[in-house]
Amino acid sequence: MTANRLPAQPGEYIDRSKPISFTWNGEPIQGFEGDTIASALTANGVRVVARSMKYHRPRGYLTNDFWDPNSFVQVGDDPNVRSAHRLAEANMAVEAQNVWPSLERDIRAANGLVSRFLTAGFYYKTFIKPQRLWPAYAKVLSTFAPGGTVDLDTPHRYHDKRYAHPDVVVAGGGPAGMAAALAAADEGASVMLVEHGHQLGGHLLWGDVNDRMLADELRSRVESHDGIEVLLDSTVTGRYDDNWTAIVQRSHPIAVERLIKARAKMLVVAAGLIERPYVFAGNDKPGVMTSGAVRRFVNMYAARPGTRAVVFTSNDDGDAAAEDLARVGIELARVVDARTGGNIVAAKGGAKSVEGVELADGSTVDCDLLVTAVGWTAPTSLLNMSGDRPVYDELAARFFPSRDIDTVLTTGGMAGDGSHEELVAHATATGRLAAGRAAVTTHRLQAATARAAAVSGAEPAWPSDDRSALPRHPQRELFRSTTHGIVDYSEDVGSKDLVAAAKEGYDSVELLKRYTTATMGPSQGKLETVNTVAVLAEARGETIEEVGTTVWRPPYAPITLGALGGRVFEPVRVSSIQPWHEANGVTTILAGQWIRPEHYGDPAAEVRNTRENVGITDVTPLGKLDLQGPDVPKLLSQLYTNKWMKLGVGNVRYGIMCAEDGVVLDDGVTGRLGDEHYLMTTTSSGAGAIWEWAENWLQTEHPEWQVHVTPVTTGFTSINVAGPKSRELVSRLVDDVDLSPEAFAYMQVRTGTVAGVPNCFMWRIGFTGELSFELHVPSGHGLHVWESLLEAGADLGVKAFGLEAQRIMRLEKGHFIVGQDTDGLTKAPSTGMGALIKLDKDDFAGKPELEWALQDQSLPHVVAIQTTDPRIVPEEASQIVRAGTNEILGRITSSRMSPTLNRSICLGQVAPEVAAAGSELTVVLTTGERITARVMEHHAHFDPEGERLRG
Amino acid sequence: MPISIPKENASVADQASLTFESPVLTKPKGGSDSGPTLEDLSGLTKTVIRAEPNAMDPPFGQALAVGDMLLCGQRPGEWLAVGEASDCAAFVDGLDRSGHVSVIDHTHSRAMFRLSGSAAPKVLEKICSLDWSDAMTPTGAVVSASVAKVTCDIARVDSDDGAPAYLIACDRSFGQYLFDAIADAGTEFDLRAL
Repeated sequence: MTANRLPAQPGEYIDRSKPISFTWNGEPIQGFEGDTIASALTANGVRVVARSMKYHRPRGYLTNDFWDPNSFVQVGDDPNVRSAHRLAEANMAVEAQNVWPSLERDIRAANGLVSRFLTAGFYYKTFIKPQRLWPAYAKVLSTFAPGGTVDLDTPHRYHDKRYAHPDVVVAGGGPAGMAAALAAADEGASVMLVEHGHQLGGHLLWGDVNDRMLADELRSRVESHDGIEVLLDSTVTGRYDDNWTAIVQRSHPIAVERLIKARAKMLVVAAGLIERPYVFAGNDKPGVMTSGAVRRFVNMYAARPGTRAVVFTSNDDGDAAAEDLARVGIELARVVDARTGGNIVAAKGGAKSVEGVELADGSTVDCDLLVTAVGWTAPTSLLNMSGDRPVYDELAARFFPSRDIDTVLTTGGMAGDGSHEELVAHATATGRLAAGRAAVTTHRLQAATARAAAVSGAEPAWPSDDRSALPRHPQRELFRSTTHGIVDYSEDVGSKDLVAAAKEGYDSVELLKRYTTATMGPSQGKLETVNTVAVLAEARGETIEEVGTTVWRPPYAPITLGALGGRVFEPVRVSSIQPWHEANGVTTILAGQWIRPEHYGDPAAEVRNTRENVGITDVTPLGKLDLQGPDVPKLLSQLYTNKWMKLGVGNVRYGIMCAEDGVVLDDGVTGRLGDEHYLMTTTSSGAGAIWEWAENWLQTEHPEWQVHVTPVTTGFTSINVAGPKSRELVSRLVDDVDLSPEAFAYMQVRTGTVAGVPNCFMWRIGFTGELSFELHVPSGHGLHVWESLLEAGADLGVKAFGLEAQRIMRLEKGHFIVGQDTDGLTKAPSTGMGALIKLDKDDFAGKPELEWALQDQSLPHVVAIQTTDPRIVPEEASQIVRAGTNEILGRITSSRMSPTLNRSICLGQVAPEVAAAGSELTVVLTTGERITARVMEHHAHFDPEGERLRG
Repeated sequence: MPISIPKENASVADQASLTFESPVLTKPKGGSDSGPTLEDLSGLTKTVIRAEPNAMDPPFGQALAVGDMLLCGQRPGEWLAVGEASDCAAFVDGLDRSGHVSVIDHTHSRAMFRLSGSAAPKVLEKICSLDWSDAMTPTGAVVSASVAKVTCDIARVDSDDGAPAYLIACDRSFGQYLFDAIADAGTEFDLRAL
C-alpha cells in the first residue's frame, strides 16, 4: 500500500522510526509521525480524496497546503478537516465527506450532466416562485449542502482564550518572518512569531540544500531567543483598530483551539506568497497540482504524487519542481516552458485522474501528473484590514502594498523578490524598524498610565522608514489558457460562469463575487481572487488594475465558533449562607448573577409558618450603599421624590426614585445611622444602577456636595426575621439593643451585636407584612448568625423561607416590585405613591415630568385584583380587556395563590377608567378563557391596616 | 457592654473570638511546587479610606507599604488599606480627619486572593485583558479590571524573591467563582491552591 513512499529525502519531516496507521474510508493507511493526512494518503496511492461542492466532480490534492480547496475530509466526528494541513495520528478514522453512497460512486455527480443549466444564481432564479413553496424547496436543497457531518452528541471541547500585549507580532514564520522577529527581539522588543504551518521555515522547507541551511540557522536562533514567543499551527486571523490582532492557535496542549487577543504595538506582515492555480479545461482533474504541492509531497514527506509528469513552468519554482521530480525518479514526460511560448490547453483523461495534457502546439502528452507554476498571489488580507488597498504590478503579475502604514510593516515576498540575502536584509531592517517604533509607543503608554513604571527623558523620535525596497522579478501574466476551466475550486465556479455573469451585468468585481460566490469558499480567495479579477478584466476588455480587486476582510482563514467563544465565563454570586441552603434541600433560582434560595420544598408551608410563628430568609442581594458626609440629605432629596432633610438618627424612611422622565427607577428604605452616616437599601437588581445613578448626580451635577457613596451590598449578610415571634427570637441573640416596640418602633434602625457579632444593623422593616427585623450582619459571620437564629428559635418554630414565600407574602401585603409590577413606562403616580411626590421641594430627579404626570388622568394604575373564582390564578402578564371586546385595558403583573387567604390574589396595571375599587375586570387567561375579577380597595390583600407589621 | 445570652445559647457567648468565614469554601487540588500559587487572603482586614484625591500618598494607581500594612491608591480619592486588624486600626486612628474623610470597613465586603509565582502574569493573561508586563504593571502598581468577567481591584506586590505576585480583590459574593476561575486558568501552569 505504501508503494508511493519515496526513499528518505534530505529535508523530510516524517519520522520513519515512528510508523502510525489510520483508516481512510475504512481501509488501512500506513504513515509516519510527521505525515499530514494528505501525504500519508498520497504515499498510499490515494488520488481522489473529495468531491466538488456543486457538480460532485472527483478531486485530488491541488496545492497540498492549508489552502487546498480539495482537501476537506471528515475525521471522526470532526467535519471539514483540512487534510493537507492536519497531521496524521494513529487510529484516526478519516472519511470522504459529502458523498453518497461512496467517494468512488457519488450519485450526485449527475449534477455535472446538467451543469450548463446550473449557472450562477440558478437557485435564486429557479426557486423564487411560487414563494409559498420555498420551505419545501429549502428542505430538499439543504440535502445538497456541502460539508461534513456534525454529531450533536459530540462532547463540548475545551477552547481557551488569552490576551497578550507584545511589542511586535510577526505574521508568518518563513525566512523573512524569522529574520524580522530576530531583529526586533535583538533590539529588546517582545515578539510573537505566528506561523500558519507546523514548522518555521516557510518556502525554505521544501527547497534545496541552501534553503534548508538558511531555515535551520534562522530557526535555531529563533528558538533560542528569549524575546520571541513562537506560535506554530497558528494564524493571525484579523487586524483591527490599534493593531488589535486576533490569533488562532490550533495546537495547544490544553485546548483544541485558543484565541489570542493581542494588542500589538507593531504588526509585521510576512505572510509570504501563495502559488496561483492556472485556469484551463480539466484543471480540476486529480493529478493536476501546483509546483509547491509536488515539492512539498516529495521533499517534506517523501510521497510520490505521480509516476509520469508534465511540468508547465514560468518561473524558477516550476523549474525546481521539475528537478525534484526527476531526482526522485518520476518520469518527466515534458517540461512546457511559458517563458519560451509554451502553453497547455487542456487536461485529458477520465474523471478520476489526469491521463494526458493537450499542449498549445496541438500535441498531447500522456501523464498522470500535471504540474503548473504560473505565479503568485500576495495574501494581502492583513494589509486590507489595516486600511490599505494593494495595487497590481504587471511586471511581477501580483499585488503589492500601496503605502506604508505607521504601525503595520510588510516584508518578505509580499514586499518584493530577491535573493536570500536581500530578503533577510529587508526583513532585518523591518524588524529593527518595528522594534524602534514599538519602543516609542511603549514610552507614550508608560507616560500616560498612572500605574506604569516611570519613564525618563523626552519621548524618542518616531523612527522613519529608510528600508531599501526589494526588487521585483518579472513573472509572465498567466491566468487563463485559451480554454475555460475552474476558477474557484471550493465553490465550483468556472471561468465560463464568470464571463456569463459579467454579460448579465454583474461586471463589478464586488457584485460578481457575491453573485457567483467566487472567492467566498473556505480558501477565502487566496487561490481564486486574482484569477477571478483576471477573467473579469478579460471579459470587460480592461486591465486588472482597472477592474480592481475585492476587499479582504477578517478572518484571514476560517475560524471555528468554538475558538471565537473561547472559555465560557459565567460569574455567579452567592451569600455566606449558601452552604446551609445547599445542605438543607434548597431549590435555587438564578436572579441576575445571584443564586438565591427559592424554597426548601413547600413555599406555602413556609408562608404559613412565618405568619404563625417566625421565619428567616436570606435577603443578602438587597442593595446596600454606605453614604457618608454632611450633604447626604441633599443627595437623598435629589434622588428620592419625598423629603429627607429632617430624618432623625435611628430613623428609616421609604422612598421611590424616578428617572428624569418620571418613570420609577427603584425603591427602598434609607436609614440614618449617625449625624453624617446613612445606609441606603435598593432593590436587589437595582444595586449597581442606583450606585451609578447617585455617582452621576454627585460627579456631574453637584460636585460641590460632600458625600461619599460606597457599595457594601455583600459586606453584610442580610437576614429577615419575620413573624409574630420574631421579636422573641431576636431578643434571645441581642442584648445591647432595646427591642421593645416603644424603644425600637417600626421604620427605625439600630446598631448592635447579634449572636456575639458586633457591628450589625437591625432594621424594623420588612417586605412580608409581618412584625420583622432585618439583620445586616458582617458577612464573615453571616452563616454563624443564621445558624444561631435557627438554634435559638427551635422552640419558637423558626424555619427558613425562600424567595417564593417572600414573594407570596409581599403580594398578600400588596407591596409592588419595581420592574415586575412597574415597567419602563410606569411613572410614579401610577404606583399609588403620589403622596410621596413632594413638588414643594426645590428639585429632585424627575420633578418637571412628575408635575405634569400628577395632572395626567390617563396614566394606568397599579391596583390589587382578586378573581371572582378564588381558585383561578391568572398567569402573570395575562391581559385585562374590556368585556366583550379585545380592547386591552391592562394586565396582571403579579399573581399567586395565597396560603393565608386561601384564594387567588393579584396585582395589576389597569386603565384609570377601571381602577376604582369594585370595578369589574375581564381577564383573558393563556388558554383563551375569559374570567372576571374585581379591583380591591387597598393594595394589601392582607392586614391592610398594618397592625401586624407594627407589632 | 457585656452581652447576655440565654443559657441555651451559651456556646455562642463562649466564643472568645469569632471565626471569620471565608467565601472560598472549596479549593481545587493538584499543581506542583514549581507552579504559581493561589492563596485565599479574604480574612485580612481591608479598610477603605475616601478623601480628597491628593489627601495622602500613594497616588492613584500605586501601592505603598506602611509598616506591615499595604496602602493602595485604587481610585482617585480612594485608598484601600490591607493588613492585620491592629495595623489598619492604628493607621485609621492616625488619619487626618479634618477634611471630608470616610472610613469604611471592607473586610467582609471583599474577597482577596494572592496569586504569585513566575507564571502568575501568564495566568492573569488568560482571564484579564490588561498588559501585565513589568513596564506597564510593575510591582507597586494598582489597577481595576475585569477578571474572568468580575470587577476586581488588583495590586502587584512582588515576593521578596522577586517573583511576581498580585493581590486580587473582588466582591465577596463572587469569591468562590473567581477563586475557581483563577485556579482553572492556572491549570496549564501547574498552579497550586493554598
